[in-house]
Amino acid sequence: MAQTLKSIPRALRGALDKAVLWSRINSPWLVHFNSGSCNGCDIEILATLAPRYDLERFGVKLQGSPRHADVLICTGPVTRLARERLLRTYEQMPVPKFVIAVGSCSITGGAFHGCYNIVGDIGDVIPVDIYVPGCPPRPEAIIDGVVQLLTKLKGTAAKKTPARKAAAGGTPPGGSP
Amino acid sequence: MSPESNFLGIPESIGPYVSGTRTAENRLDMDTSADRLLPAVAAFNKLGWGYLSAITGFDSGTAAPSDGHIEVLYHFCKGPSVATFRVKLPREDPSVPSIGALVPSAVMYERELAETMGVKVAGVSGEKRQFLSDDWPENVYPLRKDFTMESAAATREVGPAVGSGDEPGTFVIPIGPQHPALKEPGHFELAVDGEIVTHANIRLGYVHRGIEKGAEGRSWVHNIYLMERICGICSHIHATAYVLGVEALAGVVIPPRARAVRTIFCEMERIHSHLLWLGVSAHQAGFDTLFMYSWRDRETIMDLLEELSGNRVNYSVNLLGGVKYDIDAKAADSVRRGLDFLERRTKHYLKIVTSDESFLRRTRGVGAITFDQANLLGTVGPTARASGVSRDLRVEAPYLSYGDFPVRAVLDSRCDLEARFVVRINELFESYRLVREILDRMPESELAVPAPRKVPEGEVISRVEAPRGELFYYIRSSGGVKPDRVKVRTPSLCNWAAVLSVAVGHKLADIPMIVVGIDPCFSCNDRSISLRRRGAASPQAMTWEDLRDYGIRYYAGGGT
Repeated sequence: MAQTLKSIPRALRGALDKAVLWSRINSPWLVHFNSGSCNGCDIEILATLAPRYDLERFGVKLQGSPRHADVLICTGPVTRLARERLLRTYEQMPVPKFVIAVGSCSITGGAFHGCYNIVGDIGDVIPVDIYVPGCPPRPEAIIDGVVQLLTKLKGTAAKKTPARKAAAGGTPPGGSP
Repeated sequence: MSPESNFLGIPESIGPYVSGTRTAENRLDMDTSADRLLPAVAAFNKLGWGYLSAITGFDSGTAAPSDGHIEVLYHFCKGPSVATFRVKLPREDPSVPSIGALVPSAVMYERELAETMGVKVAGVSGEKRQFLSDDWPENVYPLRKDFTMESAAATREVGPAVGSGDEPGTFVIPIGPQHPALKEPGHFELAVDGEIVTHANIRLGYVHRGIEKGAEGRSWVHNIYLMERICGICSHIHATAYVLGVEALAGVVIPPRARAVRTIFCEMERIHSHLLWLGVSAHQAGFDTLFMYSWRDRETIMDLLEELSGNRVNYSVNLLGGVKYDIDAKAADSVRRGLDFLERRTKHYLKIVTSDESFLRRTRGVGAITFDQANLLGTVGPTARASGVSRDLRVEAPYLSYGDFPVRAVLDSRCDLEARFVVRINELFESYRLVREILDRMPESELAVPAPRKVPEGEVISRVEAPRGELFYYIRSSGGVKPDRVKVRTPSLCNWAAVLSVAVGHKLADIPMIVVGIDPCFSCNDRSISLRRRGAASPQAMTWEDLRDYGIRYYAGGGT
């Protein structure tokens, strides 16, 4: 790919980058992974994609393989058995990749904090771009999280929605790769 | 027939094998020993009394008198009655024989017992992990009272995976744990001969969190909220089963209006859960139109739940001693309006699932669990009722307001997937009727009474009918501010045995439908498996989505 890019004239390259960014923002594909969640968030994510909230109007599509996905949407604390799978799912995704952690458990362990089979939260295992708090978060909050990620990709997140960004968690240090 | 007469004949037949029996309301408690357990269960089995509902392990800890012991409790249930065999074991090297040959559904519970409580069950291998991770250290049992987090920090060597699927000529398709259709991780291994599944296995435990142990470290009140988060779909029923048990222990009688409010939430939760299931299972059949319509309509009930409680999912309705929220006349009116709309829609769905030609080809005659299988394998809930097994605790052992507002058990004797659709949809009508009736005759009273901070010493079994079937709670208190043991046996766990056995012999393309037909809920049942191989992603790995697509293609091609 890099070789192919080099053979493209410089003038075209800028336009190509723009086109790639445009398509990325307009059709982010999600892959969902539950690493120990109670189902509450998972069902709310599904409800977000259902007709009432219709996240697909942002070009978002939930699909099966991590190899086709741009965004990993995670729920739950990380259990001992799921940790390796979460890592593996993350590593299978093509770069650039982004992570949205949905629900209080994915942020702190939530109600399960301290249980023997919990190794930590999502942020302990993989870098997270957007946290969506709530137990479970409302579909509107999940939409807001996705939209903030898309806005961030455009590079205008901080300017436009400072208050809401703080509410939804923002980016931790060491954000996305 | 009084509940006590339910036990008629048991003490006489079991007499020689037990050293003491005690009776309480709806309970028969029989002491036996490890060497007399098998003949006792065999004699009990001959009576054909009830079904095995759960096996509970209890560790008294070393601080208890006589240096402590481990108790293993075998709970058999029939209607409202519970007969319990109680085996006392020493804490050093406890061991019991497996009753799996007599009661096939016991094996799952025995494996759980072996792994978490460290009770050796002769004949049940402890080598392969069920729900603890494969690197969990040896001889560390989380439900023992002397368990510490430090002891779990160690790891054990994980050997190379070997399994029955490795025989030449067998092709094993591993699926999951990351498969998007169910939104929950479970790992399936299906051995296939061409098109036909010859062996089905499941490895759960990806969302095992350790809630039973966690409950021992939290106060009675904290635990309401922890139990609610066992499952995000049937959250209210978990909290209800828990508070009903604790209230029974503490001798708290809740006011009638609180009972009615709890019942309404139970039924509204059933409505949302069944509609959710209808959509997800239609999705498995490739019928996404029905998926989207049913999920659109499900938002009606979500709005109502939010209007009543302030939250869409974890409603937090229950308190020890009552409920937090009232349902006033205005809210009752919007519930009625919502239910009218849903009832119209549900009639439409019933017509679709019983008349749509292409859909019926996926459900009619597929995945049949016969009456005997359902009975023997201990299935519960709509899965059992679709096979003609009348198990519905709302009918058999009415709790909350179900005594004042009787429920009709929805049965179907066709046993196949279509029957499971019809039963669940007909249950929706029953729930609509019930909610309306309770709203029309809401008793007037306060919403809660005070409950003590400490719960008196004792044990209690609390059983309720969750959307997926019988939910079993065993709660034990030593008189403190925290429970001594909370054992949860969830309905999906009972139904796995049935699904894995009927999967064999079916076409691969039917498996997603069969699995989803029991409405599996991983987060609440992540405790059992029959593990054959560690799931390594192999080049032939199919994701759940691939399998679903394959199923759709297969049927689109006319089954060739």
